[in-house]
Amino acid sequence: MKFFSCKIFLVFGLLFGASISAQEAQKEKLQGMIDATLDVIYSDAHTTLSVNEKQAKVREKLESSYDLDVMIRYAIGKNWRRMNKREQLEVLDLVKQLVLKAYVSGLDGKVRPLVTFGELTDIGKARIEIESTMVLDTKTYYILYRLRQMDSGWQIYDIVVENVSMSSNYRRQIDDHFRKGSAADLIVRLKDLLSKDEINEDTKI
Amino acid sequence: MKTLKFKLLLAWTFLVGLLTVTTLTAQVSNLAEDEAFFCEEVDESADVYDPFESVNRFTFLFNDFVFSNAVQPLVDTYTATTPDPVEEGASNFFHNLSYPVRLASNLLQCRLKSAWVETSRFAINSTVGIVGILTPADDYEGLGPIKYEDVGQVFGAWGIGEGPYLVLPLLGPSNLRDLAGFFGDRAVNPLKEPFSAVDDWKWEWQLALSGSGYIARSPQIIERYKQLKGSSIDPYSSLRSGYAQYRRGAVAE
Repeated sequence: MKFFSCKIFLVFGLLFGASISAQEAQKEKLQGMIDATLDVIYSDAHTTLSVNEKQAKVREKLESSYDLDVMIRYAIGKNWRRMNKREQLEVLDLVKQLVLKAYVSGLDGKVRPLVTFGELTDIGKARIEIESTMVLDTKTYYILYRLRQMDSGWQIYDIVVENVSMSSNYRRQIDDHFRKGSAADLIVRLKDLLSKDEINEDTKI
Repeated sequence: MKTLKFKLLLAWTFLVGLLTVTTLTAQVSNLAEDEAFFCEEVDESADVYDPFESVNRFTFLFNDFVFSNAVQPLVDTYTATTPDPVEEGASNFFHNLSYPVRLASNLLQCRLKSAWVETSRFAINSTVGIVGILTPADDYEGLGPIKYEDVGQVFGAWGIGEGPYLVLPLLGPSNLRDLAGFFGDRAVNPLKEPFSAVDDWKWEWQLALSGSGYIARSPQIIERYKQLKGSSIDPYSSLRSGYAQYRRGAVAE
């Protein structure tokens, strides 16, 4: 009986340990992905690349580690059902491009930021949070990555910069848009935003 | 023998069938779970009470016009003609001048350690750092830059509700509580009215000081604003949600 109990504890211990190390592995994976994207933006070999080319390379790196659709779908929320299949796919791709454009443009031309990863917290419901800080232009930004275990593995579903959740922010905007506008209008708006060469180029509001 | 083979085949078929059904059920259940996850309500901290939305949206457009056509050219000229170290020095100088606001805000929240850090930083940066242009306090252990505190945050920490969201002409996003905090900031700042500690403090000088401070802070603000505008489906909604989340986070910390 004693032997049997020991075996049960051992099995549970191993399972628990495996779960913890699987979560910890996510931190390393995230760190590796961030480093890889920063390498694309700041590597000497990529100085001749245009912003668009850098975006494409960053997208490649990101998508080799994570399914970006998860974050965009989470940001779209229930509004997903207001679009037909074609619109869903188009919006998914356009929002993805917009987020990548903002990320690359926000860093391009600056000194490579110093990114440090902090604690990993299990927040329940198959979700974890990974803390990090980014020192950019002498300013320190606190960034929190939220991940959830999906059918396709651990996926990033939200990034919180200085208490501002990217998913919540886009969700509010898309909610507000659908109060008056349609999916077709949303696609037009997204295309308009993406047609600007620079994220800083004056945009009609 | 034949019966045994048949029984084995039957058992095997049953097992495979059971596994298939279980896998499919699990997949359907996972998909349903994922779907529920995508549709769940996001953080409530992004909900904002905005009863004056139409007026706010109009003021937002007005501010955008002023930013793009008046502030932006001024800031562009300032950044083009000012070397980066001078720009940074000016920004440091004006940040140092707002020490009374940070001190009072920390004390009013009983954050004695933060009040001490702010005071030490002010003392070191004002003297060794030549009236706050440089920040030598950064090099001292435990005296690195800390989060900016203002009177609006104090009101939040005291449990006062934020009230309706407001977009103030030229000043940008706010709410009723932060608007009161804005006047509170002025009240605890000895360089500003109504309780200015400087005798014969002419309005021209005050205006020049405030204007210079505004310009010195603007390059960063303008850059962030343009990034927000360029990556937002609805810039008004994005700024409102971002402002609310940021301020609520600052109050909660």
